[in-house]
Amino acid sequence: MTLLRDLGRRKLRTSLTILGITIGIWALVVFGSMANKINALVAGGSEFYTGKVTVSAAGGQMGFGNPLSIDAADRVARLPGVGAVVPGVNMLLSDQMTGVSFGMPQMIEGQVAGADRGRETFTLHYASGRALTSADEGSNVAVLGSDLARQGDTRVSDTITLRGETFRVVGILEPTLTAPDGAAMIPLAAAQRLFVRSLPSLVSAKLDPATVVTGITIYPSPGTTAETVAAEIRAASPDLAVMTGADFDRQIGSATAILNSILVGIALISLAVGGLSVINTMAMSVAERTREIGIKRAIGGGRRRIVRELVTESAVIGFLGGAVGLALGAALVLVVNEAGRSSGTLLFQLTPGTALTAVAFSTVLGAVAGLVPALHAARLDPVAALRYE
Amino acid sequence: MAPTALLEGTNLRKTYRLGGHTTVDALRGVDVTIDQGEMVAIMGPSGSGKSTLMHILGLLHAPDPNHGPRPELRFDGRDMVSLGEGERTRIRARRMGFVFQDFNLVPTLTALENVMLACDYAGIRGAAARTAAREALDLVGLADRGDHRPTELSGGEQQRAAIARALVNRPSLVLADEPTGNLDSERSAEVLALLRRFNVEHGQTLVLVTHDEEVGAACDRVVRMRDGRVRDQAAAVIVRATEPAPRAVAAVA
Repeated sequence: MTLLRDLGRRKLRTSLTILGITIGIWALVVFGSMANKINALVAGGSEFYTGKVTVSAAGGQMGFGNPLSIDAADRVARLPGVGAVVPGVNMLLSDQMTGVSFGMPQMIEGQVAGADRGRETFTLHYASGRALTSADEGSNVAVLGSDLARQGDTRVSDTITLRGETFRVVGILEPTLTAPDGAAMIPLAAAQRLFVRSLPSLVSAKLDPATVVTGITIYPSPGTTAETVAAEIRAASPDLAVMTGADFDRQIGSATAILNSILVGIALISLAVGGLSVINTMAMSVAERTREIGIKRAIGGGRRRIVRELVTESAVIGFLGGAVGLALGAALVLVVNEAGRSSGTLLFQLTPGTALTAVAFSTVLGAVAGLVPALHAARLDPVAALRYE
Repeated sequence: MAPTALLEGTNLRKTYRLGGHTTVDALRGVDVTIDQGEMVAIMGPSGSGKSTLMHILGLLHAPDPNHGPRPELRFDGRDMVSLGEGERTRIRARRMGFVFQDFNLVPTLTALENVMLACDYAGIRGAAARTAAREALDLVGLADRGDHRPTELSGGEQQRAAIARALVNRPSLVLADEPTGNLDSERSAEVLALLRRFNVEHGQTLVLVTHDEEVGAACDRVVRMRDGRVRDQAAAVIVRATEPAPRAVAAVA
């Protein structure tokens, strides 16, 4: 209570100091949530690509891009250590969806269900409906990722138009926080047809859709690692772009590490400024209260007690700043995510860990910033302090 | 019965450095004894060292150790010179009470909380502190002003609240530095009568620093100082708690 009265003595100054911390924590929460989201995407991707080899046509990546002849799948299948070969078509859901997109783009993914022979370890959970089966080949059915389904308010047995063709939805996935959330999964034959139609007519005229894929996923047979198989494929077919989970981590992981440190760095700089303003406020507050501190010391208030009171006060400033910053940051995260939900782009992910860290950090920051002026106050000579004008 | 010494100081010296090479010899070797139950005034012109003496007797400052003969300061028979800051703070909290000229109270606390602060420092908390603080405020006639902040109290009321705070832990010694310095004559008579009453009724030992001759005249004894030395320790009026002679009280009441 006394503490709040002390904080309330200079309401404007206390508020401004709290605001300084608020901005810092706000930045930490917002950028931290952004980093969380990126990390979740990357972790999901890393998990997705682990334990398998993804092959694309030269110039493509992650089983996506230029057309690849399905013959490549037969070639790869003959190599040692190859367990299962799954040719597939990955393409953008819509050509209009170009430009910079944060997170994963929405995709159409086509492959023959079950071709992985049970080797896929990235399990998908169905919120409703069923998975595709090999019996679906030849019919226009689709399984939708959670974002995609929510975006169109689509339910099982509704129809959806994908690149001009109508598909009946048979299943909807649970959120995975990574690529499948924005994917429409369809049988391979349908995907091949859509893909070839999307190519320039000069190219597509010469192609039989049944022979064209964009990527091949290779699962190593037991006892063989993805890296070994990747090396075999690179040696046998230098014209293919080959990628493993390790490659994914190298390429994407290092880029996100830099992005993360930039984001967190910005937040830390704003917090350093906030911390300095706490030091300034507490130093002024101590100067104003010099005589009062003299009285307290004279009538028997110990040095430690004086330090404790002042440090608690600045810790409360830090805590309030942190709490308000967290609230504002969480509000922004919520609003932006809600706005982005319709387009399937969730920009932020605010975890309890981030929230807790932000408030704990600001409280500790406040306490540490208050320590310097508090120690100064405790060292004051009580007699000199009493005479201070 | 011979009076018991509560405070005994010998060879008390203090030199202050004012920055650079300028020093002030505030105390140049003072011997002083304060007896149990005595009400003593320390008087003298500005710069005579009377406040410095009070700060040393009140353990706010330590006497200089390295000027001439070794200084000694005994409080209740115990050596005070060798004590560290922490222990001196504890003794101030538990065995002493302080009243200053002005700005006695913590401005954000009510009168009651200010008194309770002294209890807190002495290790008494909660309901016991609240009860003791209320009683102390009652004794100085501020029973109904406990919830007021210092700014809502008159100068005289503030000094009485400070006296309540000084007395709440029933200290062995109360030191007052110009307690009436900022009050008009009527208020200062009230405050003085209050201090006198505690001295007479409870045998409270009191040391007052003042340059008001009327205050000095109301005390048992006056220690007169000049240029950092004691000039005269003659008794002004002989009044003892054991044989109350309420003349001085009557004079100011």
